[in-house]
Amino acid sequence: MTRKSYLNITFTIGVALLFLATPLHARIKMVALPERGDATIRLDNPQATLIQEERILTLQKGLNNVDFSWKGVSIDADSIRLAVLTHSDKVTLISVSYPPHEAALVWEIYSEEAFEVAVRISYLLSNIDRLITYKGVADKEETRMNLKSFLVLRNFSGENFEDVSVLLDHGQSFKQTISHEETKQLLFLNKDTVPIEKFWTFDARKLPWDPEKLDSNVGIPVTYRIKNVETAGLGKFALLGGKVRVFQEDGHKSTIFLGEDSTSLVPVGENMEIYIGDSRDIVVTQHKMRDTPINVRRNRKNQVVLYDTDEVIKAAIENFKDKQAMLTMVQHIPGQWDMEECNVQYKRIDAYTLEFEIALPTHSKKELIMHYHRRNVSDRRK
Amino acid sequence: MKRKLIFFATIAVLLGHSIAIAKVDLVILPKRDTVQLTIYNSADLTLVREQRALTLKSGHNRLQFSWANTLIDPTSLDMLPTMHADKIDILDLAFPPRVRNLGLWHVQSQISGIVPVEITYLTSGLSWRAFYMGTLSTDEKIMRLQGYVRVSNTSGEDYEDAQVRMIVGKINLIDQIADLARRQHPYGRPGPPPAAAIPQVAEAEAVMPKAKRALERAEKIMLAKPKEIRKEGLSEYFLYSIEGTETIPHGWSKRLPSFEVHEIPVVNLYKYEEERYGNQVIRFLSFKNDKDHKLGDTPIPGGTMKVYRNVSESAHLSYEGRSSFKYIPVDEDVELSLGSVANVIVKPTLMDYKTDQYLFHNNGNISGWDEIRDFEIETKNTRDIPVKVEIRRNFKTKSWDITKTGDFGVYEKVDLDTVKFTLMLGAHEVKKFHYILTTHHGRRAD
Repeated sequence: MTRKSYLNITFTIGVALLFLATPLHARIKMVALPERGDATIRLDNPQATLIQEERILTLQKGLNNVDFSWKGVSIDADSIRLAVLTHSDKVTLISVSYPPHEAALVWEIYSEEAFEVAVRISYLLSNIDRLITYKGVADKEETRMNLKSFLVLRNFSGENFEDVSVLLDHGQSFKQTISHEETKQLLFLNKDTVPIEKFWTFDARKLPWDPEKLDSNVGIPVTYRIKNVETAGLGKFALLGGKVRVFQEDGHKSTIFLGEDSTSLVPVGENMEIYIGDSRDIVVTQHKMRDTPINVRRNRKNQVVLYDTDEVIKAAIENFKDKQAMLTMVQHIPGQWDMEECNVQYKRIDAYTLEFEIALPTHSKKELIMHYHRRNVSDRRK
Repeated sequence: MKRKLIFFATIAVLLGHSIAIAKVDLVILPKRDTVQLTIYNSADLTLVREQRALTLKSGHNRLQFSWANTLIDPTSLDMLPTMHADKIDILDLAFPPRVRNLGLWHVQSQISGIVPVEITYLTSGLSWRAFYMGTLSTDEKIMRLQGYVRVSNTSGEDYEDAQVRMIVGKINLIDQIADLARRQHPYGRPGPPPAAAIPQVAEAEAVMPKAKRALERAEKIMLAKPKEIRKEGLSEYFLYSIEGTETIPHGWSKRLPSFEVHEIPVVNLYKYEEERYGNQVIRFLSFKNDKDHKLGDTPIPGGTMKVYRNVSESAHLSYEGRSSFKYIPVDEDVELSLGSVANVIVKPTLMDYKTDQYLFHNNGNISGWDEIRDFEIETKNTRDIPVKVEIRRNFKTKSWDITKTGDFGVYEKVDLDTVKFTLMLGAHEVKKFHYILTTHHGRRAD
């Protein structure tokens, strides 16, 4: 990074005179700007961007005032740190002062000798960050995907950065130049033939039960699942959160856009799930066919204190597609319940949630019938 | 297309490190070879795919793409070489400071010469919708169904000789393309978002003469032979590809025939359900999207349909009504609502009411009872053709029993408080039936 690339951050060094009492006098900028060495933009924390730059300071023996000021940029003053990299045993940071009404600070440094020292200055700079976006192109069979990820650098910090090292939380840093108000999109992940799983989900709490009564189609959400594991060609690092756009090869040397979703960070070993759109070729129609009180118990005043309800839920699932599909059906039974009879095997997700995996052959119709009893305790028990 | 989308290939000179210098080093202006539009109907979204032949030099190349006065989403811009992909490295795509609607690709090439590339992006402002015309036979037993699509272009671009494809399906979008197109900065900026400036899409009038000529030319070609639309399923969607290419200038729409099927057997279905339709009978045309009904090759996109009927040998028509319907999958039943009618009558009448089966508390108060209602349902078909009538009765309680009298029709339990009676009525036929509904209350419902 050359000095001229930093338009708004200035850095001067002066030698303090023993009798200078006011901070303003101590900040006479009478020494040439120190040479800048390597600079790094660290983007590993999505909340804040850390700038680290190295400089060579020419220190005099005794007390030195090092002035760091900025204008037109937003630096978190409390985040500014100075680390002495060479001769650190002979250099002591005495104090840090903030001059009034200025975007600046002054380091008071005591040096046992006159020499050049390398320092690293770190600070959090606002309005410069990164986004992550993904572009996936699934094959026509929807079993594999070419997955690309792009790093989008957005610099609205007020500074121009030239040939700086940019570092994410993994991988090698890379050199990049980015001006103030510039946005750059860089490819940083490109994996072919990443396995994908496709599944459909009907959640009885989220979707209408009787589509026939609605003027619009009830779509069954369709999701792609990508495993962040080595066998999938991934699994080396967490996949950062961002927008995912999914396309599909159409068999005519072109693609169609399937949909988009946003994903949060996916640690190694975990799954990225991308909700791409809705299927209108799988239709679920669900009704409650029975809800009858049974086993009614009364108190001496003949008031009901305890009863069960005998309930039957019937769901018809139709697959109008030319392909088979695996539907995940989520059902909810509140309170205390016992399943009397169910024609499809289920997995208990929690006390009140059941999950069914229903394989739907091409152009098929299946039925789920849940017959259960729920225990109901009347307030009159008291 | 040429009007606003401009694509320059620039070759960086050694000293031209600054973006400002690079942008004036224009070397060639590559011509667009083909363009393909994939238009969605569930969202304001079109995928545009262009083929262009770039002339690259060995080394570092800068390619500039600008899109003033359009509704392109710059975050969707992508470029891929379709040949020599292993010798061409697309380093980055930059959106330079203080310049709007401009992207700059930095490309490292190991070869010198012509390289075909494919540029894709998403744009807003193109749309399509389906609509239909149905023509019933005089006896209303069969129907001719004609489907059309209407493609509209308000994108700010004139798309000439474009391959047009349409997608039927509901995609998930987390950002509207039009909003992304209107951003001042392609990916926004860190911090609170500033108010978006809205670019004005150029008025259509300025390009009307040229656009009109293009449309007329395209329509003349269309008149020569109706175009075919290829239909195929992809993932959860259906892709309709129009044969050949189309020119759709900004501000214009184009209507294209989608399909035509003759002699679809249909059933005149009349429904009565007080809670849903009030005291009216609603007429439906019922058929199925399957082979038996000469359909079933593809789903039918949702749209509006105007239904007519042949009323004489001289092919005079009567207008029967208008229906909006939703997407119909293959093998799905179709019921087109044509609105309320007065020529089929359903009249339920409460003929008797009584209570019975009382239970009492120890203190003498009533703790349970039954209510017994005797309903007569009179159905009358005043038409010259047979009809099917479906009557749904909803009960306000889930504890009930029903006894049906009469010797026709069946009832079916729809859910815990709904039953459905289905009757076939001949021309000018009247049918009556009774049912006795017993509802249980208080302890009688336990």
